[in-house]
Amino acid sequence: MADLISLKEIKRYYDVGGEIVRALDGIDLIIEPNEYISIMGPSGSGKSTLMNMIGCLDTPTKGVYEFEGELVHEMDDNQLASIRNRKIGFVFQTFNLLPKATALRNVEVPLIYANISKSERIEKAEKALNAVGLHDRMHHKPNELSGGQRQRVAIARALVNDPSILLADEPTGNLDSKSGVEIMKILDSLHDDGNTIILVTHEEYIADHADRTINLFDGKIKEDIKTNKRIRVSS
Amino acid sequence: MIGLFWENLRISLSSIFSNKSRSILTALGIIIGVLSVTLMGTLISGLDRTFEKSMAGFRSDVLMISRMEWFSGDVDWWEMRNRPRIREEYGEKLLERSQFVEAVAPVSERGGSIIRGDRRIDSRFFGTTTDYLATNTSVEVEKGRFFSDGEQRSGARVLVIGGDVADALFPDEDPLDKYVKIGNYKFRVIGILKKMGKFMGLFSMDNQATMPLGTYKRLYARRGWMTMRVKLNTDQADLAREEVRGIIRQLRRLKPTEKDDFGINQSSTLEAQYKAIKLAIGGTGLFITALSLIVGGIGIMNIMFVSVKERTREIGVRKALGATQTMILGQFLMEAVMICLIAGLMGMGLAYGLSFIIDKFFPSAMPIGLAIGSIILSVIIGVVSGLVPSYQAARLDPIDALRYE
Repeated sequence: MADLISLKEIKRYYDVGGEIVRALDGIDLIIEPNEYISIMGPSGSGKSTLMNMIGCLDTPTKGVYEFEGELVHEMDDNQLASIRNRKIGFVFQTFNLLPKATALRNVEVPLIYANISKSERIEKAEKALNAVGLHDRMHHKPNELSGGQRQRVAIARALVNDPSILLADEPTGNLDSKSGVEIMKILDSLHDDGNTIILVTHEEYIADHADRTINLFDGKIKEDIKTNKRIRVSS
Repeated sequence: MIGLFWENLRISLSSIFSNKSRSILTALGIIIGVLSVTLMGTLISGLDRTFEKSMAGFRSDVLMISRMEWFSGDVDWWEMRNRPRIREEYGEKLLERSQFVEAVAPVSERGGSIIRGDRRIDSRFFGTTTDYLATNTSVEVEKGRFFSDGEQRSGARVLVIGGDVADALFPDEDPLDKYVKIGNYKFRVIGILKKMGKFMGLFSMDNQATMPLGTYKRLYARRGWMTMRVKLNTDQADLAREEVRGIIRQLRRLKPTEKDDFGINQSSTLEAQYKAIKLAIGGTGLFITALSLIVGGIGIMNIMFVSVKERTREIGVRKALGATQTMILGQFLMEAVMICLIAGLMGMGLAYGLSFIIDKFFPSAMPIGLAIGSIILSVIIGVVSGLVPSYQAARLDPIDALRYE
């Protein structure tokens, strides 16, 4: 199978007050379609930077990044925006929903940037919200929803453009354990439906959902383990 | 991109309306700016209107020959005063010799009080001939009649009064055939003129009384000041003016080297003066009021910086979801433009309301072109003042923006 993502010798240096910080220091990584990966590591190990890199929010200082054959490291801002819009779905720890917009409108946002007609937009957004079980909460604003529900809106928003990959940065970090379990169940079933998912987490039990765990340390990959074990919380 | 346009419009409106008091305060600068520009224009239009109305009696096909020149330039007032007087005979000669002269009316005038019982009004009265009506087409007799040739020759003591005089002396009776006094002389009122309105008190027939020239000369001055009103039959006033000038020089036997010792006045000279004054007042006024629009624009720019700062995180999210720099730029530009547009429309609405009140005191109308112009100007101000903050928003790094607390 063709590689979905290929990172070769990726380096990302920051200049912090004259001192060079090597956030990523030579990452080689290949991700294939329908993988379920967790990225782990202590604070400052570079997991956020790697996640931003894969999510095309950041570009490498050095190295080659191919996304479905497209050379991301050579792209300008508009091309990066377009690839984020079409190929990548983000789920954030703090949900990052637009506070004044209803769930439906939040889910519509990526479709607006993709220049999709209104009727099609609403249809797709409703479908995505149905898929995460929020068909009766579509016209509620984020402050009228629970944390778990908000994160489900965020997942619907991430999925609405049928992205090639779903990036989840500590998706359960701001949730109580029950809601966390719910969210992980949704992610698991999305993987079963054929989606490629990358989780960034520092919780073992969250990382255990994935089939492959990448451990970062000081901007380098310390371990890359294919577990193939699936721990499912019984329902 | 239509979808994006509506989305941006929706976002900007919801942002404006969810910060109501802030938006109103911000918009106030633009509201006041547009209001003052539009009101200034309204006042100038009112000035124009009354000027034109008053000048109707001084149309371009009317020449006024007198010792004085309205805008004398280099001629000294005392010199003009001592010039030989204008004679009544010039009228006949002009009609005889000029191909352009249609009618001539000599006019002598002076000020004084007109009295009826214990009512009085300070007014001006003048003596002229029956040809006066032919030289001043804007004068209309509303009631009664103008005097006749017979009355003019015999020096009958009859008077045609202006509307204001009639109102002041005869508040609740019909003035016709009643008697009024000017000095020690009694006059019978035979006609009332239709009101014309006035231009800053000038050239109005409303507060004047007209009597036959024969009467005037007999009672007041056989050899007084006289102005000759000359009605032309052509639009080529310059040509006619030169001809008339030549005829008067002939009548006065002026040598070619001598300067004119009379003035030929025309409304166009007055108009030129008026236009210069209007340009000075209007130009300065519009400039100063436009400054307030610019100050308003600075307010908009300020609040847009705040808005961008507040929504840094939202900008980060939108970028992560695929918004390009242009899309973010558009979103914030739209917000700045919408504030300005709404404020502009409010300012125009207020000006429209106020223009009715102004109209009560000073006939005027809001110039629609200027109103639309000031709206367009406020939109341009929105674009200009929104540009820098929006550009700042568009250039934000998505990672930093997402991390912003």
